[in-house]
Amino acid sequence: MEISLAQAFLIGVVYYLGINGTPWLTCLGSTIIQKPLVSGLVVGIILGDPLTGAIIGAAINLPFIAYISAGGAPPTDPGLAGTLGTALAMAAGVSPAVAITIAVPLGILGTIIWVVHMTVDVFFVHMIDKCALNGDMKKASFLHIVPPQIVAFLIGVVPVTLGCYYGAGIVSNIIAVLNGTPLKVLEVIGGILPAIGIAMNLRAINKPGILLWFVLGFVITVYLGLTTMPVAIIAGIVAYLYTGIMVNVENKKVAVSSADDNDDF
Amino acid sequence: MNNKITLSKKDVLKAFWKWTFFSHANYNYERLQASGVLFSMSHLPKKLYPGDEKAQKAFMQRHMQFYNTEPHFGGIINGMVLSMEEAKANGADIPDDAINSVKTGLMGPFAGIGDTLWQGTLQPILLAVGISIASAGNMLGAAVFGISEAIIMLMLAYIMYMRGYKTGKDGVQVILGGGKMKQLMAAASIMGATVLGSLTASYVKAQSTMSIPLGQAHLSLQTDILDKLFKGMIPLGITLLALYLLKNRQMKSTTVMGILAIIGIILGVTGILG
Repeated sequence: MEISLAQAFLIGVVYYLGINGTPWLTCLGSTIIQKPLVSGLVVGIILGDPLTGAIIGAAINLPFIAYISAGGAPPTDPGLAGTLGTALAMAAGVSPAVAITIAVPLGILGTIIWVVHMTVDVFFVHMIDKCALNGDMKKASFLHIVPPQIVAFLIGVVPVTLGCYYGAGIVSNIIAVLNGTPLKVLEVIGGILPAIGIAMNLRAINKPGILLWFVLGFVITVYLGLTTMPVAIIAGIVAYLYTGIMVNVENKKVAVSSADDNDDF
Repeated sequence: MNNKITLSKKDVLKAFWKWTFFSHANYNYERLQASGVLFSMSHLPKKLYPGDEKAQKAFMQRHMQFYNTEPHFGGIINGMVLSMEEAKANGADIPDDAINSVKTGLMGPFAGIGDTLWQGTLQPILLAVGISIASAGNMLGAAVFGISEAIIMLMLAYIMYMRGYKTGKDGVQVILGGGKMKQLMAAASIMGATVLGSLTASYVKAQSTMSIPLGQAHLSLQTDILDKLFKGMIPLGITLLALYLLKNRQMKSTTVMGILAIIGIILGVTGILG
């Protein structure tokens, strides 16, 4: 599949919309369109094949499914993986599992764009400081919105446009060379990479005994064949009842020990 | 000073929407959401301190301090700050330090709560639902995820912000105090971990196609051996290995990704997985 310059530019705009901090559609909207599940579909629409885009985007989203971005330091960029990754995978006509292995390295590359944006914006903060000294609210508001978004637009749209336009042919050729066992190996890697996002999320929860619940969820799905939604509902009910009992037990302990104290008097 | 300054509902709503849209518009390494806080209240200095330029400048300067929280749950802090500013403008004895310590003291805990509930629990569930719909070839998957997340999060953000404004600086005791919040957080962690287990089973794919010749018969490594022991032991093992490397070995996620890729190459080339 060929990608025209106009299509490449539009895909770049989709990437820009998902950069953390893009105000369009509310800041929350940027985190929604940043997900490969969503951006993959939009890229598919731009390239004239929404269904393939949706399927590839859903696959690329797998390693990012349980991914947490907290404290301003994301380890990888689902936005670039979802936009450029989907476009290149569609251009090369690969299977969804291979698309994952194309997209994941792009996600790591995408953190460069994040670092540039987070660094350049420091400059505007200092300019706003000056406005605060002079009490110039109008200029402060302008500086908060317009220049940072122009920067984000440029550093977002340009690399993705170039990547789509020039990368499509390169990736197609590489995939053609890899046909056979190497491509199978890529599919194997694509299959196990989702483990990383899940492990990162588990580490973030980091509470004693949490692994038992993790294994419980795993076993329920493997042996009972329940999908995530019913597991989530069951887990929510059980967790609420369980923690309720634990809180009660703790309160009783406190009550009992204070009763003991009273006996001493 | 007998003319009391009150913020109208419109003022508060305006601050809420400006925060919701623009909290991260100028996100940066030095002060993160600082100018986002100031911008969300950019209509207030003139309203709170009419004609008092010195107070307006002070207002601007005290909200350019480092600030970083999860913008939806953390919006409750912005709401509290709004009501503190209103009280201060009406002559209440609230030093700049008090406003700043409310911000810096609460931004961490609420970011923790917000990230756990939203990014750690709600988002994986909604994504998993969307992905399962989309990978079955139905384009509605993306819409199911996007629309449900937007509705739930905007509602929560609005409730938190307004709750913060209404209860003012004592609001935190109402929200964090008592056992309910503690229970909710513990329950969310448990629910999150269980859902992650389910996601591992559904989405980490590692199947063996290897078969071992035994005289006339062939023994399939996957169905005859591994599945009899414990179905899905390879995906579970790989996920736990990744967790071990991240948590106990303190490796970077990109390093772990590299290790998983190497494992994939070895298992793929030898034909153990495929």
